[in-house]
Amino acid sequence: MSGSMLDAPFTQLDTAGIARSLTQIADQPADLADAFFERIETVELPPPDQAPGFRVWRETGLAVRLQREGRTWLAGRDQISADVFQNALRRVARAMPRAPYPLPELETEQWSTPPEAPEVLTFPTAVSQALRTHHVDFPVQLTVRRHRRWVRVIGTHLASGTEGESFYSCDAVMPWTRYGCLLDELSHEKAEDLARRLVNLYHTRDAEPPAPWCGVVILGASATAVLLHEAVAHALEADTLAQGGHPEASLGVRMGSRLLNVFDDPSSAPSGVQRTADDEGFPVVRRCLLRAGVVEQPLCDTAWTRRSDRLTAGAGRRGNRHLPPGPRSSHLELVAGELSRKDLLADAEGGLYLPEADQGRLDPVTGKFVLRFPYGRRIQNQVPGSPVGPCWMRGQVSDLLDKIAGIGAQTFAAGAGWCAKGGVKLPVWATCPEIRIQGVEIGP
Amino acid sequence: MNSAEPLREVLDGLRRQHWEEVEVFHKKGRSRTMQVSPYGDTTSLRQEEGWAVRAGDRRRSFYYAASGPPRAVAWPEADGIGLRLPSARPGPHWSPPSTLDAPLIGEGEARGFFSGLAKELDREMPGAKLLSGYLDDGSSDSQLVSSREIQVRVQHRVASLHLEAVGPTATTPSIALDIADHDARRFSPAALARRLADLLLVSEKGSARPRDRGEFILAPPVAAGLLAALGDLWIGPEAEERSTALIDRNGRIGSPALTIIDDGRLPGGVLEAPYDGEGQPTRSVTLVEEGSFRQPLLAWWQTTSNLKRSSGCSLRPGWRDLPIPGSTHLYLQPDPSIRAVSLIQSLSRGYYLIGLAGPPRIEPDFTRFAAPVSGFAITSGQPTGTVARAWLVGSVSTFLSGIVAKARDLTFSAVGGGMVGSPTVLAKGLELRQ
Repeated sequence: MSGSMLDAPFTQLDTAGIARSLTQIADQPADLADAFFERIETVELPPPDQAPGFRVWRETGLAVRLQREGRTWLAGRDQISADVFQNALRRVARAMPRAPYPLPELETEQWSTPPEAPEVLTFPTAVSQALRTHHVDFPVQLTVRRHRRWVRVIGTHLASGTEGESFYSCDAVMPWTRYGCLLDELSHEKAEDLARRLVNLYHTRDAEPPAPWCGVVILGASATAVLLHEAVAHALEADTLAQGGHPEASLGVRMGSRLLNVFDDPSSAPSGVQRTADDEGFPVVRRCLLRAGVVEQPLCDTAWTRRSDRLTAGAGRRGNRHLPPGPRSSHLELVAGELSRKDLLADAEGGLYLPEADQGRLDPVTGKFVLRFPYGRRIQNQVPGSPVGPCWMRGQVSDLLDKIAGIGAQTFAAGAGWCAKGGVKLPVWATCPEIRIQGVEIGP
Repeated sequence: MNSAEPLREVLDGLRRQHWEEVEVFHKKGRSRTMQVSPYGDTTSLRQEEGWAVRAGDRRRSFYYAASGPPRAVAWPEADGIGLRLPSARPGPHWSPPSTLDAPLIGEGEARGFFSGLAKELDREMPGAKLLSGYLDDGSSDSQLVSSREIQVRVQHRVASLHLEAVGPTATTPSIALDIADHDARRFSPAALARRLADLLLVSEKGSARPRDRGEFILAPPVAAGLLAALGDLWIGPEAEERSTALIDRNGRIGSPALTIIDDGRLPGGVLEAPYDGEGQPTRSVTLVEEGSFRQPLLAWWQTTSNLKRSSGCSLRPGWRDLPIPGSTHLYLQPDPSIRAVSLIQSLSRGYYLIGLAGPPRIEPDFTRFAAPVSGFAITSGQPTGTVARAWLVGSVSTFLSGIVAKARDLTFSAVGGGMVGSPTVLAKGLELRQ
């Protein structure tokens, strides 16, 4: 159990009984069978002119999975009870024994109290107050949500503890654009930070996109996080790698600059979203994706580690109980370099400082990569100066990563957002410094 | 027990707590999905069930949704502004489609479909392969009761298919195809393989052309994609004002060939239903008739002064979703007398565009558009080359007034929460750019 989550569910499950039941369907030596229990609560405060006013979603359910020789069978249900579990078990079983074990006890705690989220109710006012301190006035339709999720995985041999996540998301709609972010807490500091980002968008709203440019680009920590997520994490997901061959073949391949040391470490994520086990019940690891620019360990779930003993599980994530797990990152870390902000911006006259990226896409087959920046600033006299409008970075992913020429000495929790690969929406987090890229193409 | 009884119990309980406006929605469904890739497959059988309450009075309101069957719970504190719900309105008789009770596609059938598709694709284009396939075949049953005497039931049967394929060489991007129908058994491996092979061929062999004008034949996915991207011209209360800016001196926003309809109960439509997500009767609404703007698509709360203009157009795809206005089956009316092939054969010099490589971009003021397209160059009705990584550009007004002919092959694509359809169309006045 991580963070400050209260009243963790699934602590009273009959793990031995569930495991016994699962052994009935995992009747071949290499079979993997598990039961996934999930509870989700989302509360939302919409903008004040929208009804209904306070919104709550609460759901509980389970899924039973059987994995055998490259095939997976999954049965998901929106309730938890012994009968529902038995029914799901039957659906994935290839053959059921004539005399099954007795049903395990599966009475789970009901939602006992009405949902409350005082911090969600007060946050829009805090953002409005912070905006006023910047002496700007523009309409913002702000939606604030709190997301909580608890999961527990019980397999034939392994039972994880209950894992919990709690975080917040904000969507701000303005007349000229929209902005979304994930936050680990709602505080005055976070309100001020969100207001500052909105004010930046306001001040740059009419800026002209830069003319096509090839030169020095400094990425802020948030933009760096998006770059790493799209260009390193997605590229090193086992299912993405498999589109071009066996994921094992990526081990030892140089993928970028020697300055790049990139980890995925769910256990060091912000306090509300730290994990000790993944959505398959396997312990998470501090996974070195790139060491000195060379691939050390891709992101893998059990479907891939069962094919190769050189690959490590622990990065399986599920969008929800109805979806199979897939290899995905949780919390990316780029190890800090030695450059101060002044060093990063040195000899970069006329270059671009791009603090945020809001879209990115990697074509796994061709390696072509695009990243969109909603705004930026022209570097003048070694500081970010006049604003430029939306622009894109395009290129081959390995070429782009090879052009990273400097890494800042200070890291920031940055770039948290929703990842929607394959339509599966998952929160992702990052801790990154700013970086300097030399000779990259930027265009409108 | 009446299947609406649990909903009524929740409704009555909330009314006893003096909530004036209460609505209870319940949806359950089951689906079989199969996800295939070169490295394995996953078969899922989902049984989903959930419910949602909207409740409020003139000053405040709340929303509560939960999994499982409806039941009384500890309700949240209300907040925000007051809630108003629609009154019951009778709808015309509706006969459910015959596919509602057909069994879901079996695991063996789904596996057979994908292996058949892979074989057909290899036959159409040797070396081409499926990167991934996702087939979902499901049925659902939803009910809605409200304090304003609404009590409706809607059943759906929808199958959807997403395919990604790559050509024999790994130098060009993968291509994707999405389709939907009532029943997964209607998906034809041979027809789909031909479509994938066509898209792969133009993606692999096609080149970006220098700037060129001419006549353009737009295949249904391209025309429907543009129609969907221009949705704000026909949907919502601001649509009328936006469309007014496009009116020409003849009082039209488009050519006489432009008739756009939205129909929530379109016979044979994938999402056909007698009522929408708020229990309002669905109907056919002509939004643009022979180039003249008639009315926007409006939900009941968007036109309180003239309810007759509204239609049941609130989408509610699942129990977690709040109802939002949107098109269900939005389509460009076809011409039953014209075959698509005769449009192509009639082209002296121009392009036949068959695929969109991404969503079209529309300028915020609806003046211009740009759509990433691929297809064939055509001379004297015959293909003379392939085009890829090109942009079809022009003014929105020119596109709407430049549609001079349309075929009879109305085909729908799933866009957002609804279906958007178009036949093959012949458009003039547009431009192809790199």
